[in-house]
Amino acid sequence: MVVPKEICDRFSELEIIQKALVEVDFFSCLYDRYEARLLRYIKRLAQVTDTEAEDILQESFISIWKNLYAFDQSLKLSSWIYRIVHNQAVSAFRKKKSYGRDEKVTWDDALNASIPDDTSLADAGEMQDIDLSLHEVLEQLPLHYKEVLMLKFLENMGYEEISDVLKIPEGTVATRINRAKKAFKSLAEAQHIIFDL
Amino acid sequence: MKGSEKLIEAIKQQDIQPVPKWQFSLKNGLAWAGFLVAVVLGAMAFSVILFAIQQTDFNMVSHLSHSRLEMFLGLLPFIWIVFLIVFLAVAFYSIQYSKKGYKFTAAKLVGFSALLSILLGTLFFIGGGGHQLEHAFAVNVDVYESLQQRKTKLWSMPEDGYLSGQIEEVSAEYFVLKDFNNKAWKIHYESAFIAPVVRLEKGETVKLIGKLASKDEFTAEEIRPWGGRGTRMRGK
Repeated sequence: MVVPKEICDRFSELEIIQKALVEVDFFSCLYDRYEARLLRYIKRLAQVTDTEAEDILQESFISIWKNLYAFDQSLKLSSWIYRIVHNQAVSAFRKKKSYGRDEKVTWDDALNASIPDDTSLADAGEMQDIDLSLHEVLEQLPLHYKEVLMLKFLENMGYEEISDVLKIPEGTVATRINRAKKAFKSLAEAQHIIFDL
Repeated sequence: MKGSEKLIEAIKQQDIQPVPKWQFSLKNGLAWAGFLVAVVLGAMAFSVILFAIQQTDFNMVSHLSHSRLEMFLGLLPFIWIVFLIVFLAVAFYSIQYSKKGYKFTAAKLVGFSALLSILLGTLFFIGGGGHQLEHAFAVNVDVYESLQQRKTKLWSMPEDGYLSGQIEEVSAEYFVLKDFNNKAWKIHYESAFIAPVVRLEKGETVKLIGKLASKDEFTAEEIRPWGGRGTRMRGK
């Protein structure tokens, strides 16, 4: 049975983990807290459908549950959760790339999920256009550039968090972001799309 | 069904339990233990490399013909250099898989491991460990030819101008040298260059470059200590 949101909200993430280790139901609080943004992240990164993204998220949370004692409290919990989800998403993306080269996934579903509920239809349309163009460019980038750009500009993470998610040194994160920005810019310019990163 | 409900149901139905904490601690401990062991083994390899360098007179290179040069280069501790590289790779691999290993670049991790091995290896060498380890290796590993054996071979070719052994008796014109095959040689050294660290006295082990004068006489052009540079200071 899942724990109601109003009860979950009373606890910090670390308290939730401690409670979940005693009563597994509390683990649902963590899932609910991260579900929306992680689904959006998976869909953007792995180019999968809603259902596939949910499956990836389920698998990721089962892995998080199994490895709960591996969590290093000197890290931010969100970084650690993103790391596991990221790895699952990347492996799904690679599988999809190798087994379903002819399969096309539209971005519409993914985009709908990323638009806040209170956005007007006109705004939503405009955001969709921007998001679609952004994704078109992102899709053309190699994965190691795409992932740093997504974490930095779409998930708003700092260098240290990105370093913890991708398990690479901060210096490498900075270099990779710079290179990725250049690659992104030249691709966007070639397609007459203007973004200010 | 909500995602969180599905998740909790799956965990309960499949009775999935978190992996015990000790397994993660063990894994991390093993990574660090692997790193330390590799650094110590790397240090030992480095101490033997230092010992081998000490045993090699690089200023001899100019005197050597091509085939002798090959033998001379054979004194270089290639196997120990390979060991050092392998242990550094193991140290790098181990620390990379420790909890915080990813925070450092490969260059920093390799540099840090190498520095530790070099520092420890130098201490080990100063304590005489390099020599002892090399000797132990030579005694216990059949296929391994010790530095001393290889060096003895190189310096036991009087017909080519290389001779070595222990001084038995010294006079103003010559001294008697017993080579490593226990053969006694009369060594003429009037016009020879004698390295400053060499003491021409009974019991001193030396190596000579010169010319074969007869079947048991040798004219020395250079006389150098057997043990390499700096060994006398530590009483070897």
